[in-house]
Amino acid sequence: MSERDSVSRVQFKLDDALRLGYDYIKRRLDRATINIASIALGISFLSTLMLTDAFYRAYALAGGGRLSVETYQYWLMFVALVVSVVGVTNAMLIAVYERYREIGTMKCLGAMDSHILLLFLVESSIQGTIGGVLGFILGIIGALLSTGFTTGFDIILKVPLAEILLLFVGSTVLSIILSIVATMYPAFRAAKLNPVEALSYEL
Amino acid sequence: MSFETIIELEELARYYEMGGVTIKALDGVTIQIRRSEYVSIVGPSGSGKTTLFNMIGGLDRPTRGRVYIDGVDVSRLDAYELAWLRCRKIGYIFQTFNLIQVLTAIENVALPTVFAGVPRDEGLERAEKLLSSVGLSERLHHRPTELSAGQQQRVAIARAMANDPAIILADEPTGNLDLNTGMEIIDLLHGLNKTRGMTLIAATHDLKMIKASDRIVWMRDGKIEKIERG
Ligand SMILES: Nc1ncnc2c1ncn2[C@@H]1O[C@H](COP(=O)(O)OP(=O)(O)OP(=O)(O)O)[C@@H](O)[C@H]1O
Ligand SMILES: [Mg+2]
Repeated sequence: MSERDSVSRVQFKLDDALRLGYDYIKRRLDRATINIASIALGISFLSTLMLTDAFYRAYALAGGGRLSVETYQYWLMFVALVVSVVGVTNAMLIAVYERYREIGTMKCLGAMDSHILLLFLVESSIQGTIGGVLGFILGIIGALLSTGFTTGFDIILKVPLAEILLLFVGSTVLSIILSIVATMYPAFRAAKLNPVEALSYEL
Repeated sequence: MSFETIIELEELARYYEMGGVTIKALDGVTIQIRRSEYVSIVGPSGSGKTTLFNMIGGLDRPTRGRVYIDGVDVSRLDAYELAWLRCRKIGYIFQTFNLIQVLTAIENVALPTVFAGVPRDEGLERAEKLLSSVGLSERLHHRPTELSAGQQQRVAIARAMANDPAIILADEPTGNLDLNTGMEIIDLLHGLNKTRGMTLIAATHDLKMIKASDRIVWMRDGKIEKIERG
């Protein structure tokens, strides 16, 4: 390995990881769908409450009565988020088992632990992004359904657009963070796999 | 053709402890393999062929002894250097092909170039050439499930060559193929060995594969039983 210093590039760029992650999601859509649905449900709960709160404030400002989201509803939201994180962790762990051989093969082909880690985290970030956007859309519908009959459905037009955008960005970012947190442990296990064991693993 | 040593194994041993019993998967293997040589490894199931490949490829650490590749002691390499070795220096071919199922033929072949940091266009171009050279220019965008066993092994061979390695390790490459397809794969590997000068080490039960090789290493119980000229 005399030429090691001159061509010592073992690299794996973010766009490569993105492309591979996208391929995995596209080709194993069933598992990805479960993850996305799980995250979307948690986020939809969160954004329903946040938007409901925003609608109530806009309603009060416009001279309507004072209404507010109950504390126990925030607790339910918290539980929903925890449940969705656990669901994603579980699904990603199964994905790691399914891919034992492929992970072993990739390591044979020169993948480093960090490449495998990145691959799983990128995949879950993509799922988190989609889940976050879907969840927010569901959240708008949920909030309108829970407030619209008392405040009127045009209440959404009375909330400043900037506030809605902020909630959208916030819940999507939170969705991505939660997906990554949920995938940390499975991704770490995948990265640390011994290639010899991974290759001899029979499904 | 040069006759320098590319791989040197020195008293190589790998033991497994299984419930108080020591299994000697490799038990003192010493051999030198020349650049561009074609070596067949033959031996009954459990004689240590796969374990030997794992050692040469830096996938597993020996209990005792040394592996030198181009004069470098593999056990002294750090994680980064090991990845480099697997990526650039060695091409693996498996009995079960081990293609990445979500990727097409050309993407599978380009994957090692991705890990090597080769720009995407260049990697795909290289992959296309390699697939043509193994007779699959019409199958670039097929997925593994859309290919026959022989075609899958061809893709795997093209993938093994993606970073132009000096060494090809093939663990029973014809084990899952019928007679004729196996013959084609053997011819292909042999041709690569001759035309590109890749050092080819193949574990096999296949007599035709053995006959084509420069040397035949017979293994038994983790030891070299005898070495014959092909
Ligand atoms: N992870 C392991 N733990 C315990 N023993 C192992 C392990 N891997 C291999 N062995 C043992 O080491 C010995 C050599 O195994 P190896 O797989 O190298 O044989 P092989 O020659 O490749 O056989 P085959 O022709 O069946 O592939 C066997 O007795 C096997 O049971
Ligand atoms: Mg074996």
